[in-house]
Amino acid sequence: MNASESLQHLGPVLRARGLEKQYGQGMGLVRALDAVELEVAAGETLAVMGPSGCGKSTLLHLLGGLERPSAGEVWLEGRRIDGLSEKALARLRRHAIGFVFQAFHLMDELTATENVELPALLAGRSPRAARRRAAELLERVGLTDRAAHLPSALSGGERQRVAIARALSNEPLVVLADEPTGNLDSSATLDVLRLLDGLRSSGQTLLIVTHDSRIAATADRLISMRDGAFVEETRLTHGSTGRLGELAGLEG
Amino acid sequence: MGRVLLVCRLAARDLRRRPAEAALLLLAITAAITTLALGLGLREVLSKPYQSTRAATAGPDVVASVSSPPDSGVPADLAGLKALARAPGVVGHSGPYPVVWTKLGSHGQTVDARVEGRDTAPAPVDQPKLTEGSWLGGGVVVEAAFADALGVGAGDPITLGRRSFRVAGVAVTAATAPYPELTCLAHCVPSGLVWVSQANARSLAPQSESLAYVVNLKLADPAAAPAFVDAHNPPENAPPGARASDPMPPLLQSWQEIHDQTASLVRNQRRALLTGGWLLVLLALASVAVLVGGRMADQIRRVGLLKAVGATPSLVAAVLLAEYLVVALLAAAAGLAVGRLATPLLTDPTAGLLGSAGAPPLTISTVGLVTAVALGVAVAATFVPAVRAARTSTVLALADSARAPRRTAWLIAISARLPVPLLLGLRVAARRPRRVVLATASIAITVSGIVAALAAHADLIDGASASDPSQTDRMNEVLLVITITLVALAAVNAIFITWATALDARHSSALSRALGATPQQVSAGLSAAQVLPALAGAILGIPGGLGLIAAVDPDSTTLPPLWQLLAVVPGTVLVVAGLTAVPARIGARRPAAEILQSELA
Amino acid sequence: MPEAVGVSSREPSQGYQLRVVQEVLLALLAKEPSHGYQLRARLELALGPLAEALNAGHVYVTLNRLEKAGLVTSERVGQIDRPDRKVYELTAAGRARVMEWLGDTSWPKPAPAEFHLKLVAAAAAGLGDPVRLVDAQRHALLAGLAAAQRAALAEPDGSVAGLLLEGVVLRLQADLRWLEACAQYWTSTKERR
Repeated sequence: MNASESLQHLGPVLRARGLEKQYGQGMGLVRALDAVELEVAAGETLAVMGPSGCGKSTLLHLLGGLERPSAGEVWLEGRRIDGLSEKALARLRRHAIGFVFQAFHLMDELTATENVELPALLAGRSPRAARRRAAELLERVGLTDRAAHLPSALSGGERQRVAIARALSNEPLVVLADEPTGNLDSSATLDVLRLLDGLRSSGQTLLIVTHDSRIAATADRLISMRDGAFVEETRLTHGSTGRLGELAGLEG
Repeated sequence: MGRVLLVCRLAARDLRRRPAEAALLLLAITAAITTLALGLGLREVLSKPYQSTRAATAGPDVVASVSSPPDSGVPADLAGLKALARAPGVVGHSGPYPVVWTKLGSHGQTVDARVEGRDTAPAPVDQPKLTEGSWLGGGVVVEAAFADALGVGAGDPITLGRRSFRVAGVAVTAATAPYPELTCLAHCVPSGLVWVSQANARSLAPQSESLAYVVNLKLADPAAAPAFVDAHNPPENAPPGARASDPMPPLLQSWQEIHDQTASLVRNQRRALLTGGWLLVLLALASVAVLVGGRMADQIRRVGLLKAVGATPSLVAAVLLAEYLVVALLAAAAGLAVGRLATPLLTDPTAGLLGSAGAPPLTISTVGLVTAVALGVAVAATFVPAVRAARTSTVLALADSARAPRRTAWLIAISARLPVPLLLGLRVAARRPRRVVLATASIAITVSGIVAALAAHADLIDGASASDPSQTDRMNEVLLVITITLVALAAVNAIFITWATALDARHSSALSRALGATPQQVSAGLSAAQVLPALAGAILGIPGGLGLIAAVDPDSTTLPPLWQLLAVVPGTVLVVAGLTAVPARIGARRPAAEILQSELA
Repeated sequence: MPEAVGVSSREPSQGYQLRVVQEVLLALLAKEPSHGYQLRARLELALGPLAEALNAGHVYVTLNRLEKAGLVTSERVGQIDRPDRKVYELTAAGRARVMEWLGDTSWPKPAPAEFHLKLVAAAAAGLGDPVRLVDAQRHALLAGLAAAQRAALAEPDGSVAGLLLEGVVLRLQADLRWLEACAQYWTSTKERR
């Protein structure tokens, strides 16, 4: 199932119930996640913020099936996914989940186009269809003229944009972004910020884990984490310009 | 001095950090060196038993014999033989002794035997040395190898002709090659030697005219025996005016020829061992290259660190070389030692020669060659990386960008059209073309060895009827051991290459899984990256093996059966697929999140 | 899910009053004399979306005050079919005041002191967990950041108001960074106790 086939489903795209993740045992037990509850509605952009080591990346990995929870459930569009086999999870990632990583994780020996078409090829689409889709996506992120370049010839911001294009390759239900601007300078951050904002307005469901407040501010909803648990939650869309005056120093 | 110490310390520390690899390297080179040493050492070994037998029995320098042509009624030229005993250069002789061919019966079997009449008193030249029992004394003495083959010992009854005798003893001699080598006196038959009293010998002959005679000569200069033989042997063609009724002139054989005949027993083994040894050396070279290649990224970073603290490129290269030289030298020493100990197992000569081969003396040439080979392997494999590492700029080395994977655009384009496992496998292989070449070479070398061994085996089976079964068995054993060693080394190579590839590709494997490839597809891809080169190597190995056997033994024209040749390729592929399945599976199942977290762009 | 709590308890009722409106109007008049409505228009242009909250009559009240203080003079100009409009002009004293303001490098009072004292007091009096206070404040600022950023993204390239919004965003980012440090400090203090 991908985005275009899931129009019927009205519930939340992503749901987590009592999600827990522990490492080690006995004295060395580390609770990375502590009974986390989460829901992401279709088309919503959710940002999760927190200091390093608070478990936000672990949360993302559990939601994307890259790791198995110690306890709890993860539901993707009404289907429970935490107990699936590696094989089924891989198939899921092909069609329903797109990843964007802090370290970009592009294949060094493939050009931008070849990187973007890879998920489509892994999903079994014909090389021509995959290539076409890759060209579309590269245009969408504004990198058509860099399509034949290797990652080593691209700047950090361009690499991340290629990674975002790759994540969109199979029209995923949800895009999971783990510190997308963690390795970028401020101008590259702005580029990615604009891209994420554009994704949000096109209706893509996004879950962004970040410590960058600007990126978090693009979200519809913001959750803060500390020590593996949620501590604060705010809806960001309803901020009015009225308060802006105060923030700008326009006090009487 | 301080720099040498520094180099040694750095090299030692590096080896300690990776004990498994160092051990593997040691094993590979040692196996190769052992086989080589065995092959080389055999040469020394061959002479020893014969020499000691010669010394113990006062062996002759020349053996001359005359016989009467069969059914001609012309007696043997005894006078000619006696004249030889007085020829210039001869300082001693024993005989002439009568010789007659007859049938020997023992334990229900009947074989050809050559009976020589001797005196009870010890002869000055060629007095066979008893290993059992006593000399003649009413009975007969059987040559030791013959006795061994017949299964008789002192006290056993045998029949010669139609008369029964008791075996009085078993002895060795240097005057003739041990059973079952062909002995050519008048006619060449594989016949065992039995000594009887002169009277008994004459009585065994059907007519006195059919007796042959043999005389053992001692020369002033034993080294001149071949010249003596050439001078006195009859010419190839009969001189003009010869008549059938003329007595046949004496036939001479120098001790060197007899020695060579003895040697031929192990000559084939030696050839097999030398060929196998060189193949193993090549394989070890491939192993070392793989290991070195796998450590290159690590090495380059170390190089960067060394250079950053002020080490010059030459020091850096010295450290790199030192590590492998140490291992190679250790391997050479170990290989020589093991080879020395193992030689008797292979070369215990026939019972027909005195004493076991014992440990061959370590001649300078063997030690020198073996050490040179070990060092050569180490240097050859590390030379290119060492030079490259030494010349890399320090900044680049520290940034570790020198090992970026290679990009082969056409392979990537082709792989896009293939099913997912082949797509992944082809791209994994294309990242490290050098490793693919090494893998193919490794399999090609091994399959060449296997095919050559199969051909040699087929040759053995062909000639089995004509030769001693124990020798055939031993040769088969040698072939088997070499084949098994080759296969073992190649298997270790294959596993190691797969492991190194899985490690090297762990980032792209984890990423592929994050993007939607199943673990099965990824491990199938990792396997395919090994199986495809193995297939190519196996196909190359067949003509390689046939060429090898043609080069080593041009006379043998036996090919292994077609079904064996055809089975080698799919067999190799299946074995490689099986061997690499486990490391590939393990490599594909590590948690993706862990890998992606730890790998920074 | 609580609504973001505002920074101050004052609700916008009639729009904010511009603190430095006097100096700004004097400066705007430094180029040439203008009508009141022209001054207001240029002010609104500079403030972009923030101008919506500007009190409508505030500009005219300020102009009157300036005239009483002798920094500007006004002149009534007759119009044909409209009520008379005033034209304002800068005096020498007004010009001096403008130059003084332009040369003044003092920065608006930084925020940390009040919040810092709030946290210390809460911890000392056991009135609340400082870390939770920090979280709440962070979220409020983030809401503001979100609004400012959205407005900034909506501005066309090269818009001068966009620069103002960028300033809001960056200041908030800096404040948020300090709040992170506060959270770390008060978390580790809690662990030590």
